[in-house]
Amino acid sequence: MSLLGIAWRNIRQRLLTSGLTALSLALGVALVVATLVIGGLVRDAFASGRGLGYNLIVGAKGSPLQLVLNSVYLVSKPIENISWGFYQEFLPAEARSDGMAGRYAGSVAKAVPICMGDYFRSFRVVGTNAAYFDSLTMGDGRPFAFAAGRNFRDDEFFGGVLGSSVAARLGLAVGDTFSPTHGADDGLVHDPFTVIGVLARTDTPVDRGVYVNMEGFYLQEGHAKPLPDDERDGIDEANDDEAGAEAGGALEISRPTADRPPRLVREISSATRAFAPAVPPDANPPRPRPLPFAQREVTAILIETASPGGMPPELLAMGLKTTINEGRDGQAAEPVREIRTLLDLFVRPLELLLLLVTTLVVIVSAIGILVSMVGSSLERSRDVAVMRALGARRSHVLTTVLLEAILLAVGGGLLGWLLGHAVVAAIGPLITTNAGVSAGFFSSAPAGEALLVPFLIVLAILAALLPALAAYRTDVAKWL
Amino acid sequence: MAEPVIRLENVRKSFVMPGGERVEVLDVPGFLLQAGEQVALSGASGSGKSTLLHVISGIMRPDAGLVEVAGVDITRLPEGRRDRLRADSLGLVFQQFNLLPGFTALENVLVAMSFASGRPDRDRAAGLLEAVGLAQRLHHKPAELSIGQQQRVAVARALANQPRAVLADEPTASIDTAHKQQVVDLLKDTCGRAGVGLLVVTHDPDVARQFGRQLSLETFNRAGRQAV
Repeated sequence: MSLLGIAWRNIRQRLLTSGLTALSLALGVALVVATLVIGGLVRDAFASGRGLGYNLIVGAKGSPLQLVLNSVYLVSKPIENISWGFYQEFLPAEARSDGMAGRYAGSVAKAVPICMGDYFRSFRVVGTNAAYFDSLTMGDGRPFAFAAGRNFRDDEFFGGVLGSSVAARLGLAVGDTFSPTHGADDGLVHDPFTVIGVLARTDTPVDRGVYVNMEGFYLQEGHAKPLPDDERDGIDEANDDEAGAEAGGALEISRPTADRPPRLVREISSATRAFAPAVPPDANPPRPRPLPFAQREVTAILIETASPGGMPPELLAMGLKTTINEGRDGQAAEPVREIRTLLDLFVRPLELLLLLVTTLVVIVSAIGILVSMVGSSLERSRDVAVMRALGARRSHVLTTVLLEAILLAVGGGLLGWLLGHAVVAAIGPLITTNAGVSAGFFSSAPAGEALLVPFLIVLAILAALLPALAAYRTDVAKWL
Repeated sequence: MAEPVIRLENVRKSFVMPGGERVEVLDVPGFLLQAGEQVALSGASGSGKSTLLHVISGIMRPDAGLVEVAGVDITRLPEGRRDRLRADSLGLVFQQFNLLPGFTALENVLVAMSFASGRPDRDRAAGLLEAVGLAQRLHHKPAELSIGQQQRVAVARALANQPRAVLADEPTASIDTAHKQQVVDLLKDTCGRAGVGLLVVTHDPDVARQFGRQLSLETFNRAGRQAV
């Protein structure tokens, strides 16, 4: 019988004490594992912004972090809106009705507007155009894929695309309708939009977004910028052409005038919008009259800077950011930089604090091993004396006691590891909803978890050292 | 004449009492146990019987003298080698049997094999238990065995490593009269069949009388005072 076998028998002999000690250790380890895994997932969720297909976000003056959190991660509140005119400054000549390139157009390869502030149930509604899913990417550089349906077209004013979590959580499918609410999930109910497509899972915040055509978004009550009476007269007539031309305002979406769908003059009032029909997929219903430009605003513009002459886009982004931030129209923020700051300033310290607390729990549990072994030392002394009389050397009994502690640590650690992952799996849906990343039983933090086992073993050896030395020094003659 | 498996010469052992007084417990001028010989060593309680067994088995080092086990002077050996020699050459049977409570009968025998030079042999361990009539009790823990069965396990365990001698310390002291004779017979028969020397320390004259060679520690030990 090996020393390991003897150690295992000793554990089984004190099954209740050993079991409780291992369980206490397991609970501590479960906390550490859950903290490591969830912390890693959240960190990954925030760090996944490198391949989004844009490297600059332009929005209203205020906190750049808030701008990024709101625009990319769909958390926090929008700062304010920026003017439609400012947005146009990023568009090239062919995307504008006046035929003149915007002030910053030369530095921009892609500019996708987003409008925020509405909700559908607890999910954020993002008004945007078709370019969002046509030209942006999932965060890892891959294009968006649809699990069902397709992207909405810019002329499908009341079309929408749902993130995978939203569709799964709310049980919505292509062809269903949904009505966003204004400003909060219990706010004024807007017109119904039709689900044109459901995105495949991206494991990013996009999964919990509700994306609607911004043209339909603009037509909802409270979304038109109020105008002074003297500016209101004739403004619709003046902007009709522009609105039609720039409905798909992204640089890459530029429809010929001949392709424009027929316009339907329609009074924009809550009374008529309340009965606006939802757009079925692939249908071409009459389209309401777009909101005049003068009454439009956007919450943010997602920009990918150009790389003229092979110049790195990041370089141009820094220059553009400085120029915009020196102006009065808005601010520009680099999502990657802001998130790195957030991680360094808040997330990592918080994670470290949590890790410290949970590690202390594990250490306290390891002290349980010591207490358990010291508690059974009287019983152990007799057994040790018998083994010594049978020819066991001092090193044998020392090793046996240490092996007992290691077995308890490994057993408790393994149980804790399983429990920790079970906890992650149990709260996975909550994490997916709030952080936009998938979390399941097999989500892991390989580096941290790999260190956990040696850490536990060292801890167990330290805890068992005292009883092991006591066993080493057992006076055989006294106990026989 | 057979080679002695245990030889003592001028062995002395004393202890320092809590008050600082040194008490001599053993002063044995000489003792021989031949291979296969069975000897009863009797003495009153506190006469140094257990101390003598501890010295012979190398658990205690004497203050002076020669203690030879299987031809090796164990007083000159470091503790680790004494432990190994004890595992290889001696089998011990204790008054309280001292079986490991968390281990089955078979495992108690295997544990004893674990500390010897050879590899633990499961078949041999089972064979030893079968030889003492415990074929149906191999996987029973001590608490599930009767007193007599526990003593049989203790005897089987003492023979686990094919020792040169078995040292039994008051093997009948904690059992009733009915079982006493069974234990004596078991020890004598088993050791006799195995050709193993047997030294039984007892304070019971009835037990001592059943051995061909009987020694009294009172005459055999020159230490002037009784041990503690």
